[in-house]
Amino acid sequence: MQREKIVKLVNEVFLEDFEMEPAQLVPDAHLFTELGLDSLDVVDLVVALQKKFNVSIRDDERIREIRTLDDLYGLIEAIGTELESE
Amino acid sequence: MLFRLQTLLLNLMFYALFFIVVVLLVPVLLLIGLAKAPFLSHRKNMESLRILIRVYGRSMVFLGWPFIRVRVEKEAGDPPKACICVSNHRATSDGFLMGMLDCEGVQVVNLWPFKVPVLGFFARLAGYLSIREISIEEFLRCGSELIEQGVSIISFPEGTRAGSRKMGPFHSALFRLALQTGAPIVPICISGSENKPRKGSAVMHPGLIRMHLLAPITEESYRDMSPFKLKNFVRDRIAAELERMEKGE
Repeated sequence: MQREKIVKLVNEVFLEDFEMEPAQLVPDAHLFTELGLDSLDVVDLVVALQKKFNVSIRDDERIREIRTLDDLYGLIEAIGTELESE
Repeated sequence: MLFRLQTLLLNLMFYALFFIVVVLLVPVLLLIGLAKAPFLSHRKNMESLRILIRVYGRSMVFLGWPFIRVRVEKEAGDPPKACICVSNHRATSDGFLMGMLDCEGVQVVNLWPFKVPVLGFFARLAGYLSIREISIEEFLRCGSELIEQGVSIISFPEGTRAGSRKMGPFHSALFRLALQTGAPIVPICISGSENKPRKGSAVMHPGLIRMHLLAPITEESYRDMSPFKLKNFVRDRIAAELERMEKGE
């Protein structure tokens, strides 16, 4: 999946499930300090992303290293690439 | 010069009285509790213990008088029974300020209050919830049980003292409890406590602390919100009121 499409779909999750404003969704936005998510919100985010992309990321260790939106786009992209190569 | 003198007097007086209260009042409260215990049910004993903790908290609030004055403003009277009180958190004194609430309450606390001698023991005995030591499932279960018993949950969802007037992001556990139980949420705005004492210091500073209880947010108005949306809705309401309270200072 193209990066552009991933960005669009991830942002849709933030807009629909977290009711954020589009202006907040800049790649450098920090999920915890700027977007205000906590560890429980991240669980909700993971569930929403799994539903949106039809992938399993709940047990992916890399999710713990996510800090910014850009990190998140990168993770989804990497998982997509891995699935395509399998 | 006058402010420095007031600060010196305040701290001499406050800590001397604090020592006297801990040495005299706490044993008296403990004796009262123990004397009543055999004649009361477990539920009544817990209620009694929480009232004694409230008396202790309230006495702490008045130790700094007249240098520290506390004004409680209630937009819609006392908090309803079995509500969830949500406050901003700037300093250690905020925990004691909760003694000003006329309700049976259990505080949701971080690890450190349980480590404070005397206070930690009674907090644990009164069923205070140590959010770092239990899972979210356990927190929701205990919180729901308390609300069913008519006990209010009192919390500072920033999770730690801000140390300044800038409010931190909220944690969502408390708001998940609200969505699960339907308990009314009472936003509390505390202004003026940020230097009583400052984070990392024990020095109390003279001044006025204002504690403003906003009208409860009922289940009807929040039940369709996500936990994320609800926590930010309450945070925005507190932030707006704090801005109003502190305008022109």
